[in-house]
Amino acid sequence: MTTTLILLAILVLILVLMYNSLVNKKNQVENIFASVDTQLKKRHDLIPNLIASVKQYMAHEKSLLESVTSLRTKSIKHNLDEREVISLDDKMSSALGSLMIAVEAYPELKANENIMQLQSSLNEVEEQIQASRRAYNQAVTDYNNALEMIPTNFIAKAMSYEKKSLFEIKESQKENINVKELFDN
Amino acid sequence: MKTVEELTSFYYSSLYKSLEKFEEKRKKLRFKIIFVLFIIFWNMAIVYFFFFYNKANSTDFLTFFLVAFFILSSFLFKYFKRDYRNEFKEKIIKPLIKELEPNLNYSANLHIQKKDFINSLLFEKPDKFNGNDFILGQIDSTKIQFSDVHAQKRYKDSKGRTKYLTLFQGLFIIADFNKNFQGRTIILPDFAQNAFGDFIGSWLQSKNQAREELVKMDNPDFEKEFVVYSNDQIEARYILSHSLMENLLKFKKKTKHDISISFVQNNIYLAINYDKDLFEPTVFKSLLNEEITKEYIDTLVLALSIVEQLKLNERLWSRKEPINS
Repeated sequence: MTTTLILLAILVLILVLMYNSLVNKKNQVENIFASVDTQLKKRHDLIPNLIASVKQYMAHEKSLLESVTSLRTKSIKHNLDEREVISLDDKMSSALGSLMIAVEAYPELKANENIMQLQSSLNEVEEQIQASRRAYNQAVTDYNNALEMIPTNFIAKAMSYEKKSLFEIKESQKENINVKELFDN
Repeated sequence: MKTVEELTSFYYSSLYKSLEKFEEKRKKLRFKIIFVLFIIFWNMAIVYFFFFYNKANSTDFLTFFLVAFFILSSFLFKYFKRDYRNEFKEKIIKPLIKELEPNLNYSANLHIQKKDFINSLLFEKPDKFNGNDFILGQIDSTKIQFSDVHAQKRYKDSKGRTKYLTLFQGLFIIADFNKNFQGRTIILPDFAQNAFGDFIGSWLQSKNQAREELVKMDNPDFEKEFVVYSNDQIEARYILSHSLMENLLKFKKKTKHDISISFVQNNIYLAINYDKDLFEPTVFKSLLNEEITKEYIDTLVLALSIVEQLKLNERLWSRKEPINS
């Protein structure tokens, strides 16, 4: 009788530990996602300023500027799920990237101190976003592993946890964006 | 900043004359030390054989004499060497550093402050802390300081005797980092993952109570060499960008010694474990020996190369000027 009880207690303890570790991983993902969101908001706050400063010079790049603005409008909506945030962030990063390259063609812009400063803040935010993306990916990988590995996968199924998607980190983004190099060309 | 080759040629052209003088001094010193120690040893041996050899507990006396001889000789060795060592540092090491980078200041007897060493969070708080060869200066916009450091911790052995355990001996470098950050990120050599494999090793690391949260990095080579702890998962990755990880790996390869790195209060701390006192003149080996020259120069260039290698002067971010502490 006692042995059965002890065995049962051990089993319950193991289940509790596994359950807790899964919850822990899920919350870690959510926590880090919240920081990604904060960083993305910081970037959104910079965009209107940037657009306003470059607009008068960059008449030919109207469509590019418009696409950045519309992406921003889309991404400040409240009820976005993780997948949508990830895909919008991806688009925004590449749109801003092309904008920065376009800036190169305008000598007046290169000389403008205000724009230089904006670019440097944008760079810093970009770096921070990049860091939080990597942190998020690691948290999601740990979480997804737990979902697939024995024995936590059984509990995860019972709790109907679903796999989460990763941010794509492009090779080009692994290098730091170097404003100096852009301008020296 | 000069390269290793330029510095080597400076060493042999401008410093060679004084080096030859030192070589003469070294030979005299060596003779003096050997002579004095021999006399002491001889006298002790005579006393021992005349008075204690036939006694019942003669082995105890023998141990006593040997220990006494050892203590006395190490004391005398240091005493005899002192002037020679100080002059060598003034006439050889100092000009070498000035040649390498003119706006560096050198002081043979000072060292990194104990509080800075503790601030780095890399090692336990030392009970005994000393060092020498302090170098302080600025390379472009990056402030840098480094010195030889020997940090020890007191402990009691099984017989209750007080002993000292070396926490760290080697080169300790502090430089201004080019990004702003608030948290603490510590990078240590990875022993657990090498000894126990990836799975068990990383589980053991995550259970390290003395350290903060384990940060798994997304560079497999870096993960193999180092283990990262931080109080902020995101900031650790903000500091350790992909390019910085690559550069730290390259730096590690160049040093050929264990290195520990930490990022605290906008500084980068680097501890290179040499397990010996650096920039010391030799007594029993020739000063004209190429290998010794090479070691002085390589170590100096290596310490200063972190500024370039880790791109500390690249200030693209909002942090433009070093903050005065």
